[in-house]
Amino acid sequence: MKLTDFLKDKLIAHIIYIASGLITIIFMSAFHISIQAILTVSIIFLLAVIIVDIWEFIRKKCYYDNLMRCLEDLDKKYLISEILYEPDFYDGKLLYTVLREVNKSMCDNIAVYRHENTEFMEYIELWVHEIKLPVSRLQLMCHNDENSKYCEQLKLIDNYIENVLYYARIRNSEKDYIIKNISLKKTFSNIALKNREELLVRNISVRIEGLDVYVMSDSKWLSYIFNQLMSNSMKYLANSLSPEILVFAEDMNNKTVLHFRDNGIGIPQSDLPYIFEKSFTGENGRIYTKSTGMGLYIVKKLCLKLGHSITAKSVQGEHTDIIISFGKNDIYQF
Amino acid sequence: MNKILIIEDDDILRDELSSLLNNAGYETVFITCFNNAVQKMVEFNADLILLDINLSRINGESLLHDFRKKSNTPVIMLTSRISEIDEVLSMSYGADDYITKPYNPTILLLRISAVLRRYSRTNSIQCYRDVHFSAVKGSLTRNGAEQVLTKNEMIIFQRLLDNYKEIVTRDELMTALWDNDEFVNDNALSVNISRLRGKLSELGLSDAIETRKKQGYILK
Repeated sequence: MKLTDFLKDKLIAHIIYIASGLITIIFMSAFHISIQAILTVSIIFLLAVIIVDIWEFIRKKCYYDNLMRCLEDLDKKYLISEILYEPDFYDGKLLYTVLREVNKSMCDNIAVYRHENTEFMEYIELWVHEIKLPVSRLQLMCHNDENSKYCEQLKLIDNYIENVLYYARIRNSEKDYIIKNISLKKTFSNIALKNREELLVRNISVRIEGLDVYVMSDSKWLSYIFNQLMSNSMKYLANSLSPEILVFAEDMNNKTVLHFRDNGIGIPQSDLPYIFEKSFTGENGRIYTKSTGMGLYIVKKLCLKLGHSITAKSVQGEHTDIIISFGKNDIYQF
Repeated sequence: MNKILIIEDDDILRDELSSLLNNAGYETVFITCFNNAVQKMVEFNADLILLDINLSRINGESLLHDFRKKSNTPVIMLTSRISEIDEVLSMSYGADDYITKPYNPTILLLRISAVLRRYSRTNSIQCYRDVHFSAVKGSLTRNGAEQVLTKNEMIIFQRLLDNYKEIVTRDELMTALWDNDEFVNDNALSVNISRLRGKLSELGLSDAIETRKKQGYILK
């Protein structure tokens, strides 16, 4: 709060003061009051005005400067009404009341949306649970009738269902995961086994190296991540001469780094920085397959939640390498 | 013939599961009414129990918990829940394996036979005619002559032996290999089988594994 601004704000009041002072002086001169008396009255009057101004300025400056400083320092500005104290002057009190009321109303409003969102997410979880039953039935029926054509489609449906589930989970996932020591080999093998038919049909060979390590992660989430990477690799291995997926891990002092590499078409350098962004399909997505750009986005979000870092390297026409590093942190160890 | 008790409240799924298991040569029994379920589970005296976690009126995990106080019969949990917590809880209550729906039927069968084998066999030597198969040593022995098998050959022989005199499809063999982290392709499977045949004929059993066209293999 600047003094000049404060004075400017009080301009009209001061004009009235000065005018009334002048009128008083004129009247007093008209009544032949001595110059000394007029001067004394004027000085007292002037001093009173100045003292009132200074007092008011200090009071307001203290309060509003504090308010502005708090607002600047606050990360979440809407919390300002929580840390504000009630001032002892009237317009400040009004401001204080208004802020409290507005904030409360906004909180109520947000609570409504939050509640709706939670309900929706809960329903998605429930729905996934429900839809899995007919999918399971169908899968058994297809197997019993020896119809592998339908099985493939069912597997696709199941994958899409998983996408919805994990998309919901990256938004409110607090309760759904357990970080524990899990075997990379076991997790990867299960996913390879799950995708066996497609891998064999496409003549893709799978090689693993040094996966006999344990990492701190959630096995369900990591399985989903592997499954996504696997299906991506299978998509873009289409025309390779000897298609291969190579998965290997490097165990270091403070982290374990997992490489998920395929010798497929690769990713153009210009696309590389964006592949983990939502709805990004890039050149490959446009040319080769229908791609929604959701898979890697969800994968990245899950990795962030789990505390793993994920990056991609690629040479177009040679290989794509997705690198996940798992931290080794004693905090996780029980 | 092994008897498998299916505890699943969805009728369609139960029937399909039952015909899958019957086709694979298991006898199946069910519990449809869950009053006094633990008592019934014990009375059936099955060799293995498939237990669904989300039964309509009763929780599969607590059922397992109570059942474990009375019996050691192997139990495989089935669930459509996708949370890690269920798995950890089931395993701590004494489940032998845990399979998430929708399950690949071949994998389910594989897991069932693996659990059954684990329970039925205390020493790891099995016999085929007069050949001793030792999974620990990874070898076949007949009249003092020994043939050492590779890991892949062992997995294949084990599957054939588990289904003695029954057809084992290539798909089943492939699943078994992949389940053991051996990601082989079609050609490699054929090569492995012919090597296994070679080793068996070294032991004087050249006709042990027969090929059934478009069906699979059979150990005679």
